[in-house]
Amino acid sequence: MSYHWEEEKLGAAYDSALMRRLLTYVKPYRKLFAICLGLIGIITVCELALPYITKIAIDRYIRPGQLSGLYGLTALFVGILVVRLFASFAQVYLLQLSGQKIMQDMRTQIFEHLMKLPVKFFDKNPVGRLVTRATNDVAAINEMYASVLVYLFKDVFLVLGIFAIMIQLNWQLGLLILVLAPVIAYATWEFRKRARDAYRDFRRKLAKLNAYMQESISGMRIIQLFAQESRSYQTFQSINTEEYEANMRQLMVFAIYQPIIHLMSAVAVALIIWYGGRGVIGGIFTLGSLVAFLNYVEMLFAPIRDLAEKYNILQSAMASAERIFMLLDEPAEDRGRGRVLPSVQGAIEFRDVWFAYEGEEWVLKGVSFAVRPGERVAIVGPTGSGKTTIISLLTRFYDIQRGQILLDGVDIRELDIQFLRSQMAVVLQDVFLFSGDMLGNITLQSETIPRERAIESARFVQASSFIEQLPNGYNAEVKERGATLSVGQRQLLAFARAIAFDPKILILDEATANIDSQTESLIQESLQKILRGRTSITIAHRLSTIRESDKIIVLHKGVVVEQGTHEELLARKGLYYALYTLQFAEAQAVKTA
Amino acid sequence: MRGIFHYLWRYRVRIFLGLLALLIVDGAQLIVPLIIRAAIDQLSRTGTAQLVLFAGYILGIALVVAVFRFFWRYFIFGASRMIRRDLRDRLYAHLVKLSANFFANTKTGDLMAHATNDVEAVQFACGMGILALADAIIMVSFSLAAMLSINWQLVLYAFTPLPFVTVFVVVIGRMIHKRFLAVQEAFSLLTEKVREAIAGVRVIKSFAQEAGFSKDFRRTNELFIQKNLRLVRVQGFFEPMIALLAGLSSAIVLLVGGQKVISGAISLGDFVAFTSYLGMLTWPMMALGFVINLMQRGAASMERIERILKTEPEITDAPDAQPFPARAAIECRRLTFSYPVAEPSANGHPVLRDISFSLEEGQRLGIIGLTGSGKSTLVHLLLRVFDPPEGTLFIGGVDVRKIRLSHLRQAIALVPQDPFLFSTTIRENIAFGKPAASEHEIVEAAQLAGIYDEILEFPHGLDTIVGERGVSLSGGQKQRVALARALLLNPKILILDDALSAVDAEKEEEILRNLKDFMGSRTAIVIAHRISAIKDSDLILVFDQGHIVERGRHEELLALDGIYARLYELQQAEAEVVKKL
Repeated sequence: MSYHWEEEKLGAAYDSALMRRLLTYVKPYRKLFAICLGLIGIITVCELALPYITKIAIDRYIRPGQLSGLYGLTALFVGILVVRLFASFAQVYLLQLSGQKIMQDMRTQIFEHLMKLPVKFFDKNPVGRLVTRATNDVAAINEMYASVLVYLFKDVFLVLGIFAIMIQLNWQLGLLILVLAPVIAYATWEFRKRARDAYRDFRRKLAKLNAYMQESISGMRIIQLFAQESRSYQTFQSINTEEYEANMRQLMVFAIYQPIIHLMSAVAVALIIWYGGRGVIGGIFTLGSLVAFLNYVEMLFAPIRDLAEKYNILQSAMASAERIFMLLDEPAEDRGRGRVLPSVQGAIEFRDVWFAYEGEEWVLKGVSFAVRPGERVAIVGPTGSGKTTIISLLTRFYDIQRGQILLDGVDIRELDIQFLRSQMAVVLQDVFLFSGDMLGNITLQSETIPRERAIESARFVQASSFIEQLPNGYNAEVKERGATLSVGQRQLLAFARAIAFDPKILILDEATANIDSQTESLIQESLQKILRGRTSITIAHRLSTIRESDKIIVLHKGVVVEQGTHEELLARKGLYYALYTLQFAEAQAVKTA
Repeated sequence: MRGIFHYLWRYRVRIFLGLLALLIVDGAQLIVPLIIRAAIDQLSRTGTAQLVLFAGYILGIALVVAVFRFFWRYFIFGASRMIRRDLRDRLYAHLVKLSANFFANTKTGDLMAHATNDVEAVQFACGMGILALADAIIMVSFSLAAMLSINWQLVLYAFTPLPFVTVFVVVIGRMIHKRFLAVQEAFSLLTEKVREAIAGVRVIKSFAQEAGFSKDFRRTNELFIQKNLRLVRVQGFFEPMIALLAGLSSAIVLLVGGQKVISGAISLGDFVAFTSYLGMLTWPMMALGFVINLMQRGAASMERIERILKTEPEITDAPDAQPFPARAAIECRRLTFSYPVAEPSANGHPVLRDISFSLEEGQRLGIIGLTGSGKSTLVHLLLRVFDPPEGTLFIGGVDVRKIRLSHLRQAIALVPQDPFLFSTTIRENIAFGKPAASEHEIVEAAQLAGIYDEILEFPHGLDTIVGERGVSLSGGQKQRVALARALLLNPKILILDDALSAVDAEKEEEILRNLKDFMGSRTAIVIAHRISAIKDSDLILVFDQGHIVERGRHEELLALDGIYARLYELQQAEAEVVKKL
């Protein structure tokens, strides 16, 4: 079977535009970064000095047999070690400090940007993927900052320093070793190309494997119902084998490159023994210098050996940066034209509203209705008639294509969006609870709502009866996203939340799930209380709510087909009448069953 | 750990060869300082040396090392990648056997984490872990032996910082571990905060509380940074400190070794070789802590994987399983069913209560009722997605629990409410249950499902890719592809579970009319919202909250003047409204 997924995008390992943009995050911490570089310089000098001390020890003291000078030199050696210790510690700490600060800035920016994006964006992007942007992708960039960027400078310092010392000790031998550079450069170049291709191929195969597995788990029921388990397994096996082969190809590239680099370092050692040894015999070169050369060559090859690893880190950081910037470049939601009304009466009007989520698939087709301040309006209609959409439009989660929605006679697009939303409280049937305590779920982290007002609100809607019975009362933790609370309790909590914000307009989507009769009567009672003195629009499922409304709007396939009071609509014997009698019959049937 | 050994044992030859290659590489590398020693000693004593010979030795050894370096990588890392492949294979082979209940109680994300992170941790333990462990043992023992042979007193002097290293590693190691766990915890909290804010973004927006949540996030972010820096303060100290202690050893060797060279106890070559061996010891000693960590993580991951592998499939063939009965009649006797308690939404309430009915072969059953009334559960029980209680559900007189699972599922085709399609072509989706189907069969099924004309309008016809889970098709198109997929199976029993809900009423009626011949001799169950879709059924059941509240044929139900009659009225009224518009 051929499977097709969006292939993971893998750009170049180094993209200068991306890097420039990344560096803007480093800018506020450039002083820290500069200090780190300074410290790196000190550390490099220390590391270069140690083999040189050994050289001096051999040439000046050990060979001539002068023991006394050795003490001072050893003390110098230890002194350099101590300097290196403190410099290293300070450097690592400062580097991490700046790295963490950069991550913090990035993460905050991503989070704040996410909060600004339109609801439409969240409809299209799975939660998990977005979470990864703020967590793992940022971590990949930090990995690059903390273990590649700064150390690149260190490697350059070190390599330059080693060559400088080598040339100074013996320029012929130094140049001889430099001759190896083109060979290493060529091998590395070839390796880089192959490693990149192998890495990409492997990532593609891995992405395919994961996508197949994920899809199979989601569609496992279909696989089993169609008795296709063994075929699905065979497909998986072949994808898995492909991934394994790509993985092995990547392994081979490394398995060939690493020994070549080691071989080069052995060639350098052989050159030193041969040419350096001849120099010692000829008297133009000391034994100490020979030993120093051997030590420096060892140091020279270390950075080249971890080049491959650094390359991988760089590549994955670039991919992460690209994804993060793509998210940050998503346009934010329209904040309205900033108008604020001095006082809100709560009148709502829909004027010939047309709306489609996608293209021309109209969900609402010319909906018009008016709600006077303080009025209670019920919307009824079969599933898919567009009831929930009306709620989303009032809070401007989506913008309409044609017509107007007015609050107190002002088009809601004129109003500041924060202001608009602050006038309304929405209670959906599926109550979303946040981690934290009961209180936090009532106030939603708002600092303008004091604890007393939250408790008062809970008491007002009678949510207090169950909250106060909890071990920690209002500070009781909401566990497992509220799974331990019943549907009724969650509803009451949502009512308390709505009341705490004291909105002019209440928008309710009545819960359809089964609620025990005791909680049900509690909810009904609370509902009566919170609706008092407010404009309300309710997607009604319960007969009692419908009957007590000032106005009922009957929606069918995005069109208002009837509106009026309960009695008026019953008298018309139309759709409302049929809906009402069906609900009534159902209520009867449940009672007798 | 035992689980890991099992896999290592499977690739014992490769691992043995890899370790052998490693032994050769390490051994050869350990000879190099001896050659350098000989060269330096000749130079310092005689003033001449067979330099070309020594350089030749070094190059020769380097070539051997290069070749075997390739082999240990290839064998050891290769084996770890084979283990990774095998583990995934086994995991997948087991997953396809597990029952719906398992998937209902296990998050897809968790399963994916097992297949990716946990499998990777086992791979690292088997590759990097084994390698670093063996390397440390070989390097430490060999270089120690070489150093002792040079001068045992010098070894004692050089190793004076060693006790400090040990104490330091143990104490700081413990601190690092503790602080690392705190970082992990803060990271989980951070992840959860982001997840929650995104999942609840509609609530946050509707209460205009974006600023408050951003502020709260900044606090969590700050906490995470602080935990990280707490870790850095000890971790940042670790390597420089080890480097210092290793450096102290070098300083001691410089001083004491220098003295010994001057006094003639050792040669200058010995001194240089000794220093090289000391340098070779540092890395393996530092790696030891890292190896232990890798092994522990690998073992923990293996345990998590094995927990899944040990989960028994709940729905299996009975020991005396029978083939699918000759007569496709369905009988349901006083069936009451609740979901297994572990299911979060279950709370122990029965979803079906006291359901009885019987349907002859070739008859059609219509079911109507509100969402959540238990209709889908009933058909899932028939297909043994969940097992019904014994003695409640029969096909051709045989308890469904006694019918061979593969036979049962091949004989019954279900078109589910949510038409799950795979990210491949329309052709492969239609032929999903019968991959060998001919072009003719596929076209016929597509025609019967009323989707063929639309398929022809797609740029690639049947070979059009439906996108991730069918995103490029409309809801109604997906449903009809799913219908074609079921029809192609040529089932004895066909079940449509609200299968055409996204298709408009006229199209639905047209499809059902076309299906009449197909259904002719077959037993069929049609669950629908629209009465027009089921009114010709031989038996209609009205479900409400798990009960059958009304039953009979269309006319009988109308005469009953209950829910069915009201529903019919409502749908008539809706039709009126639509006509007027």
